[in-house]
Amino acid sequence: MPLSRRDDLGNGYHVLRFAPDEPLDAEAGQFAMVRSLAWGTTPLLPRPMSLLTAGAEPSMLIKVVGEGTRRMALAVEGESYQLHAPLGKPWPLPAPGETALLVAGGVGVAPLVYLADRLDAGGVSVHSLYGGRSDRDLPLADELDGHGALDVTTEDGSRGTEGRVTVVLERELSRRQRDAIATRVYCCGPHPMMAAVAALAVEYDVPCIASLEAPMGCGYGVCLGCPTPRIEGGYIYTCVEGPCVNARDVDWSQGVF
Amino acid sequence: MADLSVQIGALELRNPVLTASGTFGYGLEYEPYFDVAELGGICTKGLSLSPRHGNPPARIWETSAGMLNAIGLANVGVEAFCNDKLPPLRERGVTVVPNIFATSIDDFVALAARLDGEAGIAALELNVSCPNVDHGGLEFGCDPDACARVTKAVREATSLPVWVKMSPEASDLVAVGRACQQAGADALTAINTIRGMAVDIDSWRPKIGRGAGGLSGPALKPIAIRMVWELSRGVDIPIIGIGGISSWQDAVEYLLAGASAIQVGTASFVDPLASKRVLDGLDRYCDQRGVSARELIGGLKL
Repeated sequence: MPLSRRDDLGNGYHVLRFAPDEPLDAEAGQFAMVRSLAWGTTPLLPRPMSLLTAGAEPSMLIKVVGEGTRRMALAVEGESYQLHAPLGKPWPLPAPGETALLVAGGVGVAPLVYLADRLDAGGVSVHSLYGGRSDRDLPLADELDGHGALDVTTEDGSRGTEGRVTVVLERELSRRQRDAIATRVYCCGPHPMMAAVAALAVEYDVPCIASLEAPMGCGYGVCLGCPTPRIEGGYIYTCVEGPCVNARDVDWSQGVF
Repeated sequence: MADLSVQIGALELRNPVLTASGTFGYGLEYEPYFDVAELGGICTKGLSLSPRHGNPPARIWETSAGMLNAIGLANVGVEAFCNDKLPPLRERGVTVVPNIFATSIDDFVALAARLDGEAGIAALELNVSCPNVDHGGLEFGCDPDACARVTKAVREATSLPVWVKMSPEASDLVAVGRACQQAGADALTAINTIRGMAVDIDSWRPKIGRGAGGLSGPALKPIAIRMVWELSRGVDIPIIGIGGISSWQDAVEYLLAGASAIQVGTASFVDPLASKRVLDGLDRYCDQRGVSARELIGGLKL
């Protein structure tokens, strides 16, 4: 399907939008395996990307980290792409009466923007916490801001509260515990951030869903290249058992791969 | 529709397009995409006697026109395969070739004996060439005598056709192939991946957790075709060609070089319909040239 538009958000972040023949029927949290037909045999594999939107104009947020995303950052309007989607498990919705607390880190914001949009439309109260290294690492912050409250943190203090997003999260979880506000945490970001969020969710006894990231060969459960260590041993196959998983099922101690 | 049927020993396949072990799950994953029974056959993920979790991450890394993998033969085990995977495959009329892996000859025999009793299996493929496990891989596949011992023991334990998957790392591939033929192999699958490596210059660690991994994909194709060509001239049993096949043109190359059938591997990761596209393209090619698939096999002009 053709690329309909690419927006350069600066600092290596781009939003790619596509024009499929048929609207893409997907849920927030699902992903696509994305590849330009112009790539030939290198890069060979499609790249897993969380959907930012679906429907008539599926889109995704990319950050340049390697050869595939470098090519995507140069994509031109009309370029033919292969979008294998929707794939993976979506975000589970909050239980009745629960509010949603979204915790985003950098490019991990994409599936949370999609979720915030859906929750907001469904009348669920949304509060987002968004952390980045600096104000240049907070793509789509305005999109989150459009759905409920938003607290921003940056490590260098260039925007919002200086420090890590987990500091604000702990304060918020503590307040919610005191006020007996039923909460479900949704997080997506760098591995150390999600590990810290998962630990806080255990400490404050709230459910926590994490959207995992892993290198993937196929995205649909056959290459077995995307294992995430499971807390009771063995592995979660990120593409078919995730990317959205109960954070308590993950062995966060095993680091980033 | 051209006549695409091919003969692998006593076994006739409806066409020469199979899918490679480790790149096609157990076949059932393709239910949403196409009717897998249309293929010549599927080789399953390598099965062991007991389930295996596989290697810790990172298991894959992409390289130029290819990828490294060190999955470590993660699989459900032969019992779960027979109970959960095989019945629906049988029901759909899929030509099933279980790929089996063990670290000892006794275990290879036990696997073959277990599968021998099951209906709906077309042949067994012996994985004696996995580069990503500590035992049972290359130590069998690189040595003609060891490879022959495994083949002979399995041959005696089953009435099913036995295919042996060759390692490209044997110093004399044709010698290994001949030893397998003499030990009773019905066909040779060539080739498994070639060990490769990539290094992360930030962390100074290998990109693959284990260090090295098996290289697959288009980067492998010329090497694999050459090996298929040499093997097909050196043995008298059919060769099933594999290595970087992602289009019907690639499949035709392999058949002309001497393969009696081919396996689509890594290409299925890029596109779940890859094997189906290879089959459809091969059909059109044979139709247009007015040839059968059998006429292509070894048709290379020198």
